[in-house]
Amino acid sequence: MDDIKRFLDRPVSFLDDTGPAADIAISTRVRLARNLAGFPFPNAASAEEKQQICDLITSAVRDSRVLDFDGEHNEFSPGELDDTGRQLLVERRLASKEFVSSPFDGKRLMVCPLERCSIMINEEDQIRMQSIRPGFQLQEVFREINRIDDELSCKLDYAFDEQLGFLTSCPTNVGTGMRASVMLHLPGLVITGQIAPTIQGISKLNLAVRGIFGEGSDYRGNLFQISNQSTLGESEENILSTLSAVIEQLVFHEKRARQTMLKDDRYGVLDYIGRSYGILRHCYKISGEEALKSLSGVRLGVDLGLFNSVDISKVNELFIATGSAHLQANAGIDLSSDERDIRRAQLCREKLKF
Amino acid sequence: MLCDVCKKNEATVHIKEFHNGQCETHHLCAECAGKKEENGDFGSLGFKLSEILFSNIMPGKKTAAAAEEENSAPDTVCPVCAWDSEKIRKSGGKVGCPECYKVFETMLAEAFSKIQRGSVHLGKHPARKNGDDSGQLRQELKRLQTQLADLVASEEYEKAAVCRDRINALRQQLEER
Repeated sequence: MDDIKRFLDRPVSFLDDTGPAADIAISTRVRLARNLAGFPFPNAASAEEKQQICDLITSAVRDSRVLDFDGEHNEFSPGELDDTGRQLLVERRLASKEFVSSPFDGKRLMVCPLERCSIMINEEDQIRMQSIRPGFQLQEVFREINRIDDELSCKLDYAFDEQLGFLTSCPTNVGTGMRASVMLHLPGLVITGQIAPTIQGISKLNLAVRGIFGEGSDYRGNLFQISNQSTLGESEENILSTLSAVIEQLVFHEKRARQTMLKDDRYGVLDYIGRSYGILRHCYKISGEEALKSLSGVRLGVDLGLFNSVDISKVNELFIATGSAHLQANAGIDLSSDERDIRRAQLCREKLKF
Repeated sequence: MLCDVCKKNEATVHIKEFHNGQCETHHLCAECAGKKEENGDFGSLGFKLSEILFSNIMPGKKTAAAAEEENSAPDTVCPVCAWDSEKIRKSGGKVGCPECYKVFETMLAEAFSKIQRGSVHLGKHPARKNGDDSGQLRQELKRLQTQLADLVASEEYEKAAVCRDRINALRQQLEER
């Protein structure tokens, strides 16, 4: 098994800000849920069955080399990692909270070296594969994960039904087994008070709105993940085009909200951005929540061209690097909540020295 | 909008009733809607309102269809994973194995109608291990059938005829296998 600390030396792949519409769309992710015919789903499988399933999938992934880059990929068993290591995977969006919680029988994470594609084995479904990239690029991300799925399906016998499509542990995923999501930074809609009706409208279109860390997480840092709800009765292409249309609308409305904000209350906006920067630049102790909130303000400032000397990727990097597990892994020792707040502040001060 | 009955809570249930061509709209909060239902005010609606309103948040509450299924076959247990409908309810609606989708078909069909856009898979098929591409052909067939229906609906009969011929050719190809 690989050493998880190696991740810390690398930038987070989906935050390098070279993607389309990057001023508003942070990242695009598509995941597919698959299971093997003839085996129970993980929540009904015995420890032995889960191990058998894990071995079958692992060898198919290794043989097909779908995750290899220069002949290499990474593998982790959550049961062999410490709490920090497990949390690190969640903060880098490579694994879900459910995946890093016990029981750990037969669970394995396989990641391509660029962290763009990864496969969780024995999460809610036996296979959860994802592709994630910066900006708004649903088609490209889907094409990538679809290729991996095609190759694996030549080696594995998927549980598939003509009527219902790919069979999954939860009926909410049956059919395509696909969940496509785009993470958007929407400070304009939040500040102008348009976010609540917007979320309501999106929900009516059968799309879901979640926070940065997926199901159950709050809307920290003005970050919103928009994803499809329905997986049955529509083709992958249809699901993606509906989602794309909505994202384009949201990007348009966010841009307009930012312009309106600047026109109606220019000094209010400048003050908000300046204060956000001031907090991060001069704090000595800061909670994760306050850091994300302030980072959102600085990011807005960069997008509006107020900090010409600031590299947006540095700001983006802080969204992840200020996470508790990243701070702890970098320190190499266990940190109390107070100590984490101190280190988080130190990191922000250093990185935002423009 | 406030509830028509208590005038206190936000109205979240909106019901349209048609009587002799007249439409009457009621705006109710969940609580008052529940009371009205208990009093039999919605007796003619043909369904139990609470099941639609609360089945998602009340996993212990059995819906009419699920209860019926249970009554007609009190001991339905999946022969592969040994899960029963109680276990499915307890796990928040998740099932135990692929076979469960056949065993609990009626119960799940009801769930699909609430959470999914349709009831038939229109997406991709897996490539089969032996290189058999009939999955892809069937997928193409389904796509063409949907297209045909659209073309007929929009009265584009010439295009529809081309589409129909392709469907027949594909069917023949699949039958020959």
